[in-house]
Amino acid sequence: MTEQVQNGALPADAPEESARVWFWRGAKAGLLSVQGIVLFAGFIGFGGLIRDIGFPLGAALLSTVIVWALPAQLLIVGGFAAGSPAPVIALAVGLSSVRFFPIVASIMPMIRGRSGLGTQLFASHFVAVSAWVESIRLVPPLPAYARMPFFLGLSNYFLWGSVIMTVVGYLLAGTLPHALANGLVFLTPISFLLQLIRNARDLIDRCALIFGLALTPVVAQFGGSLDLLWIGAIAGGAAYAVDRWKRARA
Amino acid sequence: MSLSDPMFYAYLLVLVAGFLPTDVFRFAAVLFSRRLDEDSEVLILVRAIATALLAGVIARLVLFPTGDLAGVPLWIRLASIAAGVAGYFLIKRSVLAGVIAGEIVIVGGAVLFR
Repeated sequence: MTEQVQNGALPADAPEESARVWFWRGAKAGLLSVQGIVLFAGFIGFGGLIRDIGFPLGAALLSTVIVWALPAQLLIVGGFAAGSPAPVIALAVGLSSVRFFPIVASIMPMIRGRSGLGTQLFASHFVAVSAWVESIRLVPPLPAYARMPFFLGLSNYFLWGSVIMTVVGYLLAGTLPHALANGLVFLTPISFLLQLIRNARDLIDRCALIFGLALTPVVAQFGGSLDLLWIGAIAGGAAYAVDRWKRARA
Repeated sequence: MSLSDPMFYAYLLVLVAGFLPTDVFRFAAVLFSRRLDEDSEVLILVRAIATALLAGVIARLVLFPTGDLAGVPLWIRLASIAAGVAGYFLIKRSVLAGVIAGEIVIVGGAVLFR
């Protein structure tokens, strides 16, 4: 009723739809996303792994909800199995999760719309590579007010779907042939790469992608647990420098 | 319930060694980006760093896999990636087509050569 009145008062603008409508549109976008399928396959693998290791299912499900980063979860479970001290595991997880800083910082100004700090902090927990990749593609055409509910719908679908798939993997454990299990694990690099290629419309994205891939075997020669950070800083910095140079000449 | 109980310890690990060292970076990034505009120069750099970092994650998964995948020869892993990229560009730039092409090579290769 009030909506009709508001719409009547703003004939020039497109009518604003409710946050709930945009939340469900985000969830539906997740349902249609290849990234979602790949993500779920990864969590099926995770569910199988924790059963092999003897990590409790409840704690694994909790990790999917409150950590929401598969590499970090693998470090926790692996560290648990190896009997590593908790501070060592925490340090390894921290190093692997530093990547969320540029990922969240680059996406939050895009998705925050009108939302306040509290909502942004809450939403940041749902940012993972999957939601980052899909949001960069799907969010920019949306009106500002629609972006946060759309993102929350998309990322909540990914997260809760992954919780279910952790259970599915736990139940399926040991029943998959080796080659298929290898295929499940390999879904992650193939799909990440193809989606980065799809999203790389500008020169800077292409440079960052190519430099990052090329630099990895080089940096690996030197070893060390910080190598991903070096790759990000050097390859990302170089891509930015190329882009700056190109823009200055234009 | 005590620290020596492995079940309780697993939950504690998830909270202290998983949630805290992960979300601290998510929250810090929100505070950092609060006053930045969507089109600001800093964000262009930050996004390039995020893309390069992800490229590094991908390359590491392919070149230095852990667990069972390490038993699949490197050339098959590289052939799978090549098939995926070729499938993507040849079949209407479809991510799904590329993923399927790459999966056929990796699963087939694992059956034949591992």
